Amino acid sequence: MTHRQFSRVHADVREYEVFARKLRIEPLRLIGSVVAPDDDLAAAYARATYDEERWIEMAIVPTDAMTTLWAPGEEAE
Amino acid sequence: MTLGTLVLSLADNKQMLGLRYAEWATRAPSLEADIAAAAMGLDDLGHSRVLYGCLQPLGDDPRRQERETDPGSYLALPYFDEPWSAWAQFVAANAVLDTAFSVMIQACVDGNVEVLRTRLRKMISEERYHFLHGRSWLKAGIDQEPLLEAWRQAIEWFGPPEGDVAELHGRGGLSMGPARLTARLQERLETAAPSMEVDWSAWDPMRRSSRRGVIDERTFGMLRGLEEKRFYPAGA
Repeated sequence: MTHRQFSRVHADVREYEVFARKLRIEPLRLIGSVVAPDDDLAAAYARATYDEERWIEMAIVPTDAMTTLWAPGEEAE
Repeated sequence: MTLGTLVLSLADNKQMLGLRYAEWATRAPSLEADIAAAAMGLDDLGHSRVLYGCLQPLGDDPRRQERETDPGSYLALPYFDEPWSAWAQFVAANAVLDTAFSVMIQACVDGNVEVLRTRLRKMISEERYHFLHGRSWLKAGIDQEPLLEAWRQAIEWFGPPEGDVAELHGRGGLSMGPARLTARLQERLETAAPSMEVDWSAWDPMRRSSRRGVIDERTFGMLRGLEEKRFYPAGA
């Protein structure tokens, strides 16, 4: 996965992917992303940005913690 | 001071905090912070409605007619009297004052008054995100002046060591007195309160502060619906 570099208010920020689900029988799905300097602020931003719907679960993951096996246009090995 | 007056103070402070947060919804340092300011503003305005709604079941509603005409009858802290002109004021209020109100709400939830135990519980979970937001921005560093002022007003708001809040704690309505509330605030923010002398003889037991002042005229007009009238069609 390609990681973007951000230059923002904070000198060092990360992108976080936001996952959520509405029903217990549903899997978590990607609903968006936020950019923040730490996990605390990322959690606050995710909740503020994506809380309009009635999610029963929401989680965030730093984008750079995800390991890409292949990307669009690439062959699965 | 009665428990009703303390709940009204919480409600007025939450209302003003919500309004001041909302004023930064297009002025914060990033789009995410704009959205967080708007969301936290909505949360706190909602919390104030819940708190006002507790006054009647408590059988102790101290609101009087003068709230329609006298901005000095509002019990919010002087920190909220004027719109904030700097982001540091926002962060200091978010980290210190918002958390101080949450600590007091926790003391109500853990106290022996049923209406507060049941109705205020949900606020604690919503306030978690305000706390994370405030603490993170605080760690990034802000000017000391608004931070010191927020600490001063938080400690004064908890009240004198043997004062009204201590008395409510003694009766079981609150699970913590002023010293424990201050200690809990410091624990949550992982920092010691700045050393300061409080002149309790100058302390106003209604606004719970030794500072004087009133809500700015425009905000008071908005609270009372007076600003709205400026936008009425002519002759309405």
